[in-house]
Amino acid sequence: MKNKQTIPLGFLKKDERANIHGITMDCGQEIRQRLLDLGFVRGTEITVQNISPLGDPIAYNIHGTLISLRREDALQILITHK
Amino acid sequence: MMKKHTACDTCQLNPTSKLKQWGAHAENSAYTIALAGNPNTGKSSIFNALTGLKQHTGNWPGKTVNRAEGSYSHQGEKFKIIDLPGTYSLLSTSEDEEVARDFILFGRPDVTVIVLDASRLQRNFSLVLQILEISNKAVLCINLIDEARRHYIEIDLRTLSKDLGIPVIATSARTKEGLSDLLAAIHQVADGSFQPAKTISFQLAKQTGTAVAAIAKRLHILDNNLSNVNWLAMRLIEEDKNIINALQKGRLSPSINNENLSPLLHSANEYRVKLGDHYRNDLVEAIYAKASQLVKEHVSTDSDNRSFRLDRSIDHIVTHRIWGFPIMFLLLGFILWLTITGANYPSQLLSYLLLDHVYSFLKELTIYLHFPVWLSSFLIDGIYLATAWVIAVMLPPMAIFFPLFTLLEDFGYLPRVAFNLDRIFKKAGAHGKQALTMSMGFGCNAAGVVATRIINSPREKLIAIITNNFSLCNGRWPTQILIATLFLGVLVPAKWSGSVAMFAVIFIAILGIAFTFFTSWLLSKTLLRGESSFFTLELPPYRPPRFFQTVYTSFIDRTLIVLWRAIVFAAPAGAIIWLICNVHISDQSIAQWLIHGLDPMGLFIGLNGVILLAYIVAIPANEIVIPTILMLTVIAVGDSTVGAGSGILFEGSANQVSALLHAGGWTTLTAVNLMLFSLLHNPCSTTIYTIYKETGSRKWTAVATLLPVFYGLIVCFLVTKAWALFA
Repeated sequence: MKNKQTIPLGFLKKDERANIHGITMDCGQEIRQRLLDLGFVRGTEITVQNISPLGDPIAYNIHGTLISLRREDALQILITHK
Repeated sequence: MMKKHTACDTCQLNPTSKLKQWGAHAENSAYTIALAGNPNTGKSSIFNALTGLKQHTGNWPGKTVNRAEGSYSHQGEKFKIIDLPGTYSLLSTSEDEEVARDFILFGRPDVTVIVLDASRLQRNFSLVLQILEISNKAVLCINLIDEARRHYIEIDLRTLSKDLGIPVIATSARTKEGLSDLLAAIHQVADGSFQPAKTISFQLAKQTGTAVAAIAKRLHILDNNLSNVNWLAMRLIEEDKNIINALQKGRLSPSINNENLSPLLHSANEYRVKLGDHYRNDLVEAIYAKASQLVKEHVSTDSDNRSFRLDRSIDHIVTHRIWGFPIMFLLLGFILWLTITGANYPSQLLSYLLLDHVYSFLKELTIYLHFPVWLSSFLIDGIYLATAWVIAVMLPPMAIFFPLFTLLEDFGYLPRVAFNLDRIFKKAGAHGKQALTMSMGFGCNAAGVVATRIINSPREKLIAIITNNFSLCNGRWPTQILIATLFLGVLVPAKWSGSVAMFAVIFIAILGIAFTFFTSWLLSKTLLRGESSFFTLELPPYRPPRFFQTVYTSFIDRTLIVLWRAIVFAAPAGAIIWLICNVHISDQSIAQWLIHGLDPMGLFIGLNGVILLAYIVAIPANEIVIPTILMLTVIAVGDSTVGAGSGILFEGSANQVSALLHAGGWTTLTAVNLMLFSLLHNPCSTTIYTIYKETGSRKWTAVATLLPVFYGLIVCFLVTKAWALFA
């Protein structure tokens, strides 16, 4: 995992699989907590399932459920490709 | 394999059934049961199945906001049951989570029933692990087991129960499967015949683990009866003010007080500073790691998720870049079309019954009972007629629109609408779920306002409440259609008139949507300034709706609401309308005085005194605006050959109405302005009342009430000026 590059979740494309690396340092406290509560924690597998017709938000498959996030929030989450 | 229980086991008609439902009568209960779980796991269905109450449940996260209470008895013991708001976690400080957590911690329920969705166990286990840290007097209820079977998911209940140390029951609230097992398990945990074993916990990483263990140990020394020291230690390290306060005041343990807690708080504080963000990360990671492990050990899924593929295919189509929007407009447009056309026939039938037959019968009855003429007229022509009118106009569209809408909701399509439209709402500073409350407003604005409960950020919720009135509700469609047909349809050759009238009405509805976005944007830039709050939306799995039950309960719900509204709001309006028409001051009735007084203002904005007066006295119900206008026009014109008499609402044939309104001085401009004003005026009093109940604020109720009137006056004035310029 170490030599793999981390990118924000907002750049994950459909049909790509990734693992969550963590939440960015400059993410606000409230949003960090809400993201963690929803299970956006290190090591979790995540894929893109649906993209809204207008491109935003995007629904992610995580922990066996579909959670949609707006792009600005998805940019706070860092991932590594599988 | 456990004995399969059937719905008969819990049916009240079955003499051997051990369940007796008590509805909301929850006094003198022996045991208190809390119902907790993730949003949209069918908690409310379980609640309803046990108590016999009918809260509407939908395939939509966040339906239960305030906790609901009910009760039932089982084998002679009475149980009080509380349906807590659904939450993903108990770690944060959102309102829902605090309500749920505080009840489990301070309410000390005898049993906490944790409801899970069998198809989404991994996410749901995270909450289970958190609740078990607070209290292990719990029962796991794996609900929607029929859905899970459809998805080829198998759960080993026995080993899971052994691992968690609590009873695990698979249920399907909709088919009542497993309910009698659930009742028995709750009873056993409540009376102590089943002793939950504390066997499970999640492994915290090194530093965080050491910190929690150290604080927990010191709490244990202060009070070795405290069962949830680990959890309390975690809350202390997070500086949870509620918990600290409760401990200091001795609410959680008699032997802990301000004094002996303060050194603990001090060291908890040191840990917090030292660990920083790592603490919460480690904690949540540990919880989810354990949840994954539980799934791995006790749940087997079909390896290539055959049936989830169906969900994915549906999602692919309904959120498609090209097809997503057309499908959405077609579906919602179809529901509206079916409502408007389908309501005609039953509306006519109800009119025939209530306005002709029952009306004549009541009239004759008052004559038979020797009522004075004025009293008979006041009661029957005033109060009864307005009430009956509202029922005849409003009941059929409500009884068609809402069951259809509910079917889409139960299927799981509506969250996809919010998902598709969020981008546009975000631009206006609002929440994607407002798409839903807006759509619901096309049925009834009061229902739309209640539906804003699904929006969990207060700012966005207020925006949705204030703008809901711009959705053209069922009570206003008939006005729009009538006026468009009589005044706009006739401007073009007969073969086009139907289409022109239809497009005029659709234009008004779309204008309403434009005002929704404009006002949302305006509010988020002025009165409700602020960043868009964090947006998450879970897209639930599709579930085949239970057609007949949904249609039936939704129908009953709506009928009751319409009747309530007719009696509480329309009846007094009928009384007032009759009085202003029949009480004379010097030589004129109050109505005539008011019409003359309002005329200058009315004509100034391209309407007239009659219309303004009708909108004032018909605040309680938009559906009586047209009959009120007709009746007042008769008074104003002084033509006694049309209508039914002073203060008596009536309806006429298209030709009669058209002739009457033209005699009343109406022009095409009046008609256009009436259509605009019908869209842009204060909400009906049911909606105003609902807004007040939902916001609890006079200020916001006033804003929501007055802003549309203000728009209406300005728009009508501008249209009148522009009209004068071009004509």
